[in-house]
Amino acid sequence: MIASLLATPVNTGKLVVPHIRYLSILPPMIMIGGAVLLLALASLVSRPLRVRVGTWGTVLISGTALGISLWQWTDVGDHGAHTYVAHAVVMDGFSVLITMLISAAMLVTALVADGYLNREGVEGSEFYVLALVSASGAMLMGMANDLIIVFLGLEILSIALYVLTAYNHRRGASGEAALKYFLLGGFSSAIFVYGIALTYGATGSTNLTQIADFLAKNVLLTDGLLLAGVSLLLVGFGFKVAAVPFHMWTPDVYQGAPSPVTGFMAAVAKAGAFAALLRVLLSSFGVISSDWRPIIFGMAVLSLVLGSVLALRQRDVKRMLAYSSINHAGFILLGVESARASGVSASLYYLFAYTFMTIGSFAIVTVLGREGDGDHDLTRYRGLARRQPVLALAFAVLLLAQAGAPFTTGLWAKLQVVFAAISGGSVPLAVIAMVTAVIAGYFYLRVAVLMYAGGDDARADAPQPAGSPEPHAMISFASPEGAHANVTTINDELLMTGEAPAPFGEDLPSVLPVPALTGVAIGLCVGVTVVFGVWPSPLVDFAHQASLLFLG
Amino acid sequence: MDQYLPILLLGLLGLGFTVFSLVSSAILAPRKKPSAAKLSPYECGIVPNREPPQRFPVRFYLVSMIFIIFDIEIVFLYPWAVVFHQIATFGLIEVIVFAAVVFVSFLYLISNGALTWGPPKTLQSGLPARTSDSTISRISAARPEPGEAA
Repeated sequence: MIASLLATPVNTGKLVVPHIRYLSILPPMIMIGGAVLLLALASLVSRPLRVRVGTWGTVLISGTALGISLWQWTDVGDHGAHTYVAHAVVMDGFSVLITMLISAAMLVTALVADGYLNREGVEGSEFYVLALVSASGAMLMGMANDLIIVFLGLEILSIALYVLTAYNHRRGASGEAALKYFLLGGFSSAIFVYGIALTYGATGSTNLTQIADFLAKNVLLTDGLLLAGVSLLLVGFGFKVAAVPFHMWTPDVYQGAPSPVTGFMAAVAKAGAFAALLRVLLSSFGVISSDWRPIIFGMAVLSLVLGSVLALRQRDVKRMLAYSSINHAGFILLGVESARASGVSASLYYLFAYTFMTIGSFAIVTVLGREGDGDHDLTRYRGLARRQPVLALAFAVLLLAQAGAPFTTGLWAKLQVVFAAISGGSVPLAVIAMVTAVIAGYFYLRVAVLMYAGGDDARADAPQPAGSPEPHAMISFASPEGAHANVTTINDELLMTGEAPAPFGEDLPSVLPVPALTGVAIGLCVGVTVVFGVWPSPLVDFAHQASLLFLG
Repeated sequence: MDQYLPILLLGLLGLGFTVFSLVSSAILAPRKKPSAAKLSPYECGIVPNREPPQRFPVRFYLVSMIFIIFDIEIVFLYPWAVVFHQIATFGLIEVIVFAAVVFVSFLYLISNGALTWGPPKTLQSGLPARTSDSTISRISAARPEPGEAA
């Protein structure tokens, strides 16, 4: 019987090979092709590939992708935005800007990783290969016009990231974080696919444009299936962007992953997932925005509040930055929630600012983590300004930018999403966002004050187990006006918690070497943050022109 | 509601099969207590004279993973072969690209010694050469002292 089944001619119908405009998918092709070439090169040479070769290869590949995306930008400007490859991918200002952002993030990460890999004595090209593949997945998410392509990008992005998280195999925490990320990530991917299936069941298509068409032309008498599909999709996206209540993995994974990987993950995974989230919600489900806006509202409020409040309790810088990234996710959700074009460009601008701030911050954390990448306690930052004034200044600038200080991109980013929320009619959300920005300002300032005020001979804080998330242990000075407390109060608060003078790292070198390329990367991040903060118009205009193709 | 009838029937069929399996197994299964020979790992009549080895080399897992990579390649080649005439040149180029990517993973595996069965060779330079003397000294160093609990 099986033989007769096999012998039956398969009736596939006439296969039509879609017309492919290669320009539209060239950047991810270059990233994957470059990764394959790098892997082949590493396999064919007799010695393990030197780190420097991998670094320059990655810089070249991501630089080429950046150049191609500039070409795409002029093409979109000349010929307008279109869908390509059987309407599966779209090339519009939005997708091109996301591609640029991810290429730039990959380039900077390669510079940071060079110093890290040399310091840890890891040879071979695997780090760069995995990072390039992961970045190509994020690009695919940004340009996807079909839920299946979104899922494909999500998986390419995630699977490489799981491996990268476990890259430091000498640290137990790294492997633990990777396993946690893998199991939870696999689960969330499954939920996402279920969401795609239900959406397909409700609308008859996985293509974002066709879903929008269907919803515009038909009134669903029972929309339970569609709403279930959309909410499952939101779970999948919420996990990837680390929005509360799908954030549980974030602190552990951010802390356990090697620091350059954490910066890459925070920037690239968030950019890719937010890009797809914006496109799916606004171009496909724009008609039913009254249904999903309350969900996004709730997620945004929870992310903003929990992210900022829990970050106050952290003693580990990487965990603190992880909670702060949850807070940032809440801010970007403000732009999503507004469900309008100004919100899209505000979110895009925020992603741009956030990418450079976070990669720069984690680059500095990488340098200060010392060999083994395990030394991230807050007390290590005490008196850093005295030992390494330039590094401390750079970190202070990046932290203040994350807090939204003037003359940095952080301020413009926060202002734009808040204005978008107000124009979308969600004034309470805007107010909550601003209050949490003030709370978040406290823990950014705490590190800055530690670096500048605490001398080497200052008393160390009482040792606490790093990262014990205690949501109810609110601190009295977390009220909005209290966080505006002047510097001396904060400093007293810090010193009061100390009990005994502890010997400060006599066995450790006090001045940590900053590898040249890492220094370049940090300088690049600080430069972008400050230059476009003082002179915001080019980047803001750029984000405003980067509109979604189908935004009604 | 009509279109859900097949699903309902399939569900009933699944339930029926489960109940049938459990009930028939309960009725038909022998109720004698198993002997030692019955409980041995290989119930082939020959009593094993030593314990089976508890650990086996990680290379077995590697080989199975490599197998999966190429198995997936075959899975994709089959439908391509079926529709080859319809997507002639384009399909051929795409399959060559796909095969090349898989082949690079094969190169990577070979270069990392995943298929080198035998004494482990390391790519890292600077490790002392392995001689019989060094091995003997390592074994004697690892051996617990007579009084020590193992």
